[in-house]
Amino acid sequence: MNQFQYVRPSKPKAAIDARAKDQNSQFIAGGTNLLDLMKRGVMNPERLIDISRLPLDKLERENNTFRIGSMALNATVADDKQVLEKLPLLAQALNAGASAQLRNMATIGGNMLQRTRCPYFYDTALPCNKREPGSGCGALEGYNRMHAIFGFSDKCIAVHPSDMSVALVALDATVLVSGPKGDRRIPFGELHRLPGDMPQKDTTLEPGELITAVEVPEGPFTKNVHYLKVRERASYAFALVSVAAALQLENNIIKDARLAMGGVAHKPWRLTEAEKSLVGKPATEATFQAAAAIAMQGAKAFKHNAYKLKLGPNAIVQALKNATNVA
Amino acid sequence: MADSTPDSKPENPECGHNATRRQFLKQSSVLTALAFTPGPVVQAAAAEWDEKIAAPFEKVGLKLAVNGKNYKLSVEPRVTLLDLLREQLHLTGTKKGCDYGQCGACTVHVDGKRVNSCLALAVMQDGREITTIEGLAKGDDLHPMQEAFIKHDGFQCGYCTPGQIMSAVACIREGKADSEGEIREFMSGNICRCGAYPNIVAAIQEVKTGGQKV
Amino acid sequence: MNEQPLFKDGVVGDRMNRVDGRLKVTGAAQYSAEYQLPGLVHGFLVGSTIAKGRIKSIDTKAAERAPGVLAVITHVNSIKVPGFANRSQPDEPPTAGQPLRVFHDEKILFNDQPIAIVVADTLERARYAAGLVKTQYEADQHATNFNAHMDRAKVPAQAKKNPKSPQADHDRGQVDGYKTAPVKLEMEYVIPTEMHNPMELQSIIAHWEAPDKLTVYDKVQAVKGTQRAFAKDWGIPEQNVKVIATFVGGAFGNGLHNWPHETAAIIAAKTVNRPVKLVLTREQMFTMVGYRPYTWQRIGIGATPDGKLVGITHEATGQTSTYEDFTESTVQQTRMMYQSPNISTRYRILPLDISTPIWMRGPGEATGAFALESAMDELAHALNLDPMEFRLRNYTDTDPDNGKPWSTKYLKECYQMGAERIGWKNRQMQPGTNKQGDWLVGYGMGVGTFGANRGSAKAGARMLANGTVVLQSATTDIGPGTGTVMVQLAADALGMPPEKVRFELGNSLFPDAPSQGGSATVNTVGSAVVAACAALKEKLYQLAGSTFSAAKPADIVIKGTQLSLANNASAKVAYADLIKQNNGQEVAVVTESKPGNERQKYSMYSFSVHFVEVHVHQLTGEVRVKKMVACADAGTIVNHKTAGNQMLGGAVGGIGMALTEGAMIDDRFGRYVTKDLADYHVPVHADAPAIEVAFVDKPDLIVDPMGTKGIGEIAIIGAAPAIANAVFNATGKRIRELPITPDKLI
Ligand SMILES: Cc1cc2nc3c(=O)[nH]c(=O)nc-3n(C[C@H](O)[C@H](O)[C@H](O)COP(=O)(O)OP(=O)(O)OC[C@H]3O[C@@H](n4cnc5c(N)ncnc54)[C@H](O)[C@@H]3O)c2cc1C
Ligand code: SF4
Ligand code: FES
Ligand code: FES
Repeated sequence: MNQFQYVRPSKPKAAIDARAKDQNSQFIAGGTNLLDLMKRGVMNPERLIDISRLPLDKLERENNTFRIGSMALNATVADDKQVLEKLPLLAQALNAGASAQLRNMATIGGNMLQRTRCPYFYDTALPCNKREPGSGCGALEGYNRMHAIFGFSDKCIAVHPSDMSVALVALDATVLVSGPKGDRRIPFGELHRLPGDMPQKDTTLEPGELITAVEVPEGPFTKNVHYLKVRERASYAFALVSVAAALQLENNIIKDARLAMGGVAHKPWRLTEAEKSLVGKPATEATFQAAAAIAMQGAKAFKHNAYKLKLGPNAIVQALKNATNVA
Repeated sequence: MADSTPDSKPENPECGHNATRRQFLKQSSVLTALAFTPGPVVQAAAAEWDEKIAAPFEKVGLKLAVNGKNYKLSVEPRVTLLDLLREQLHLTGTKKGCDYGQCGACTVHVDGKRVNSCLALAVMQDGREITTIEGLAKGDDLHPMQEAFIKHDGFQCGYCTPGQIMSAVACIREGKADSEGEIREFMSGNICRCGAYPNIVAAIQEVKTGGQKV
Repeated sequence: MNEQPLFKDGVVGDRMNRVDGRLKVTGAAQYSAEYQLPGLVHGFLVGSTIAKGRIKSIDTKAAERAPGVLAVITHVNSIKVPGFANRSQPDEPPTAGQPLRVFHDEKILFNDQPIAIVVADTLERARYAAGLVKTQYEADQHATNFNAHMDRAKVPAQAKKNPKSPQADHDRGQVDGYKTAPVKLEMEYVIPTEMHNPMELQSIIAHWEAPDKLTVYDKVQAVKGTQRAFAKDWGIPEQNVKVIATFVGGAFGNGLHNWPHETAAIIAAKTVNRPVKLVLTREQMFTMVGYRPYTWQRIGIGATPDGKLVGITHEATGQTSTYEDFTESTVQQTRMMYQSPNISTRYRILPLDISTPIWMRGPGEATGAFALESAMDELAHALNLDPMEFRLRNYTDTDPDNGKPWSTKYLKECYQMGAERIGWKNRQMQPGTNKQGDWLVGYGMGVGTFGANRGSAKAGARMLANGTVVLQSATTDIGPGTGTVMVQLAADALGMPPEKVRFELGNSLFPDAPSQGGSATVNTVGSAVVAACAALKEKLYQLAGSTFSAAKPADIVIKGTQLSLANNASAKVAYADLIKQNNGQEVAVVTESKPGNERQKYSMYSFSVHFVEVHVHQLTGEVRVKKMVACADAGTIVNHKTAGNQMLGGAVGGIGMALTEGAMIDDRFGRYVTKDLADYHVPVHADAPAIEVAFVDKPDLIVDPMGTKGIGEIAIIGAAPAIANAVFNATGKRIRELPITPDKLI
């Protein structure tokens, strides 16, 4: 790890200024992703701006909206009684990520901004356009078992690894941001970027922008929800694919539906068309299968991830079954 | 309690050091640093304005309580809590199994919460209370979890054990040890390659159902 | 043959807590990297980024200038290791050939080969400076893809030389006789490269106490072997090399070879003339300290319609490096496991531009059992026979390979115990028919065997003035509980309470013992300990002179510091008097214990069987092992607690082997792309179900006087195929390439 300067501003404004002024600086929150990458020489900031003690860790509820401070810890949010009651999908997704220890360190802001786990990105001896633009995409014709089936480009086929984000995009969350140019609100689905020609740019955040909170509306999705994560061991592993499913049922007829997938693209993949297909239908396996088929339209696989074309829809069906207890 | 400053590593007078310092200073615009409310670095930077501040830039003051003992330290910001414990405070009970948050061997309690000390910068723990495996027993009296691990043979090589025990204690405190299944899920951040898992779970269950205070 | 086990009452067999338990649960146990030495500095290795070729130039200037750096050592400036000049290994397993000579020349033989070590005053500085070393290469075309280079597979050198070698082609009866069977199958099986990945990173502190006196605190399984290797390398007397491995944080075989990083640290320590600590990174654990080799296997198997085997042909090709021939016993068990008139086995190795493999728990036998036990299951299915019944029909009461009787074999008992405990009767003959909700339920079994290979070892025993007996032997304890069971054995052999006995290990200056490997520590070192205890009593007896002369040494009873006789309590002598008799010295002995000629008369093996119940999700393909029963015929169980734990660990290892583990190389670069514990999945708590352990616990007094056979390897052998067979029973899908990940089942 390179030597860096460490500063700990006490106000968000000072943090934003510092970050904006110095291209080679980074915010550090829980540090669980950034330090990992720094140890391997993938990121080499010359200054770390410690934002972990900024007063941005509150969890508030107002006008049927949760406002979760970006410095709130993953574990705190997952265990919060109100979250468990009103946003159970979010709690499930958080608990499906990482380990108890990491969730005690990881922040909500850091979680959504964690970087891809593509092994080529992690190894500075291998090519990777995201890490080193122009060096080539190692995964494209390499080991791409964990990679995208939606929204990739020939420059990068990485996926975004956050579980929490899959739930947040399904729940229509909004990211609150403060930056050198003021505050703005980003619909969650617009936070992460697809790689296109600029895989090095993960998100739509501008330099110096600080995520201060995320707002999640309390929807009707308190009961028939399920976050399903398929992975290569029973816990403590990133998703092969994951599905966030939330339904509002009335007499077993689907009134409203939310569906999103993880592990398939460089953003949490909202399945709007599939959602539409569910509304008005009875909650049956046939309905779910039809939605899953719609969800997979346009998916394309690479050498090692073709299984996702089948696992994806299967996982959607299973998540919906679990959400509704359809046997 | 007496402050101790165990860190007294000899500075290496190698040439080239200064060149690096200069470069370092150039990169880290001190002016920017001064704009913040005082962090340890900024205080040092404010005091002087030449190359002498390179040392404070390379090392940062830090206060920690480890197992009830107060330390006043000076560390490079890149030193992790794990390496600080092991290499500088010689508290080697906390283990390094991966250095990347992937195994749990380095689990300690920071202000009562279990964390992976390998992914925690020491400077970021300023002012906090750390408990390591060495601080769990009360003198000669082992913590009930330590007793249970011995009784149920919750280890083989013993390398993951301090992390397992610190995690297990937290697992019960968090209320995540109500069933075998729950214990397994919430202990999954602690890998035991020797595979003593069933015995570890048995130890945790015994402490949990025994109702002793953990 | 002695019909009675050595110990009738006493602590052998007890569930005694580990003698080092307290040290382990308090963090006080010291592992290799945890010794504080004055002036200690830190090393960090730089690895190559190509798989084959030469270093054209290596620029270390920036690294040398970095703060705190004391030395940057490469092949350009490294001091010469005397033993490197004409170092070569005899053609012996595991590794005939030329172990990598670190920093010796500019040749690159595998990706991430150590090419430089940076030494600095702190770990952070060493690590940072290592990143500043810049290397130019001249790359050659490398070969890392196993399948693409199968044509390079070769007969191991030792087999070429000696057709009787266990690695040589072997035929019994008709060559490929299975082909004549009415019912026959041919299948290929693959296991990927698996990594030992012990939780402790490989670590060493190297300290030259004098120019010809080396001490290393090293994570090894063989302190004596390491001592000999380093003495030879540096041209110094063996006794000048002290190897300390008091606690070893798991190894599973990767401490059975000496690796380049160890010598790198020793070179560095000599160069900077200070103790150097070197701890590998987790990535380096994948490239520098061995692995279970990628292995392709083919089985042809045939039987009569009523389930009598006609023949088995078992071929295997295992990967090795280009510079060392690593071989293991992948196909041997096929010669002795089942009764079959025709057996053919062929074993090859395939050199690739990858580092050298090394035995990993259960080694070749575990690899081979995956093929053999899967094939038995496949044939049972083809014959519409219960797989346990099929195995029973081909059970053998003598070793079919050589006609010798077994020293003991209680495998049938294992079958019974296991079948009952798992609920084998719930197994459906028709795969895919047992459903619970969204899950398919299946049962499977797999058999394991491993030679009871007692070797020779020495142990020392010393009675301290306070009446405590201290035993020493240069073995190690990588986790099985060696220290604990040795105390139990010694306590019973001496007739003393275990609290009055201490056992010390992990030091090359102790009496000679072999490496801790091949499940042979208890039978080998245990025999030496028992012999040392007897010798100690003998010596006490002699020193006591006329007091005890009416009795035998074995009748001596030691109580505190008083010695008396079992049958005559009035014959007493104070130990202090015996010390006087002994020129003021505490009484001490060193004894060697060797196997006799029993191997000529008997075949000696441990046996195990794993039974599992798995649930496979119909839609997601996830496999959950719901229950596992591990049964073993391992002779006398000295400590049911630690032995049971071994079985648990092996079973969990089997879950990893079957379901989660496999290291992937990107062949374009010849470089691993799954090389940490997030990408290479070892089982976690949530993967490990309830596991029941059952031992036959009958002594084998032919193998050794305690009746032990060995546990560590059979604990895993057979576990992976048991799971694969259960997955087949659940789903009707036969997965012949491990690991069985969800994608293979949907
Ligand atoms: C072994 C392991 C397993 C894991 N498994 C999972 C998993 O299964 N599922 C999952 O979802 N995650 C997983 N994670 C990832 C983990 O969730 C993230 O590392 C964590 O959420 C990041 O949060 P942090 O606060 O530590 O971020 P940091 O590491 O502090 O920051 C990450 C990035 O975000 C930036 N940043 C942080 N906060 C802000 C902010 N408020 N505004 C602007 N920028 C900011 C930082 O500059 C940095 O670039 C795993 C991690 C590890 C190490
Ligand atoms: S997929 Fe993206 S992150 Fe991975 S190697 Fe290609 S460019 Fe890099
Ligand atoms: S060393 Fe920290 S999690 Fe492995
Ligand atoms: S006891 Fe060895 S890793 Fe857990």
